[in-house]
Amino acid sequence: MQLVTDRKNTERPGLVLAGRFDAFETDAFREAADALLAQGSSSISVDMSDVIFVDSSGLSELVRTMKHCREAGGELYINSPSDPVRVIFELTRLDAAFTIVDA
Amino acid sequence: MITSDLPAYRVWAEQPLTQPPKYSVVIPAYNEAERILPTVGAIAVHMSSLGEPWELIVADDGSTDDTVDLLQALELANLHVLIAERNGGKGSAVRRGVFAARGDVVLFADADQSTPIEQFGDLLATIERGHDVAIGSRAADGAAVANKSMLRKVLSKGLNLLVRFGFGVPFADTQCGFKMFTSEAAETLFTYQIVDQFSFDLEILYLAQNRFDMKVAEVPVEWIDAPGSTVDATKVAIEFLRDMCQIKWFDIRGRYARANHVRPAPSHHLRAIAS
Repeated sequence: MQLVTDRKNTERPGLVLAGRFDAFETDAFREAADALLAQGSSSISVDMSDVIFVDSSGLSELVRTMKHCREAGGELYINSPSDPVRVIFELTRLDAAFTIVDA
Repeated sequence: MITSDLPAYRVWAEQPLTQPPKYSVVIPAYNEAERILPTVGAIAVHMSSLGEPWELIVADDGSTDDTVDLLQALELANLHVLIAERNGGKGSAVRRGVFAARGDVVLFADADQSTPIEQFGDLLATIERGHDVAIGSRAADGAAVANKSMLRKVLSKGLNLLVRFGFGVPFADTQCGFKMFTSEAAETLFTYQIVDQFSFDLEILYLAQNRFDMKVAEVPVEWIDAPGSTVDATKVAIEFLRDMCQIKWFDIRGRYARANHVRPAPSHHLRAIAS
């Protein structure tokens, strides 16, 4: 998986993911998300337009980050999820929990 | 212009097929409640994007967790869940799935997406070139393997040498959980199958190669070791050796001279799908 932190939007910095988001990748994601929260961001955007697969570990990590954002008074935004990611959200009923933003 | 695969997926998810499927995908599942839904999602989107009628069959293997309930709650029109009363082994689950499959081409794929479904086309191209069986291979030239432990690499290599030179199955990887068959080859091979456990793939390839003289090709695939795998590599290696001897013994004793299973008749088959 590729993970890039995008700080251009200071109100809502972003994490751009690509590839496969599974248990091998969650540590890197958590480190990046926690760093943004520690720097004072309460909202984070996660671009998942180029993610081809997310497993239960990746989903758990997104839920965890969403909770931390909300505890800080903000929100986790999922930007333009790819088709498989969108369907995985639907099948796991997480589409109702996440704030999904389409470009 | 970016095209979306979602409309095709929605049709597949909501409208039962009105014609026989061209492709069947069989997933054996034992206590896969944590992993099965993302796998179904990824497979459903990719397969629907191909533009051909297809069906997904999950052959439960006596799961004691919520695997079956989760799948049935999806209410996907072309997902069929086969329920087993007890755990009979991966080989028995795949056989039930293959016997229920109606497609011209049958793929069996592991529940963990360790071989991404995007490799379907590579195996299909091999079948369309006239092969009876196309097997995903983590050891063929061009394969990409990620996160496999050193112990598993060493055991795989050692066992493969035995398989190739002591067992008469000339493939670099017999155990990858991503194999495609023509419907005729699938029915024949699984009718003669005896081994219900982990090594059933080895038996299937042994039969294809040594009893039925089928055209089998290895296709290099991308493979990512499934996080959270509970497979004990050493234990599995010992069982594999035992099964290898057993398959030879079955052959010597003539156990492959006759069919060992009967594919259920269509009416029974439809009831099984409905369950």
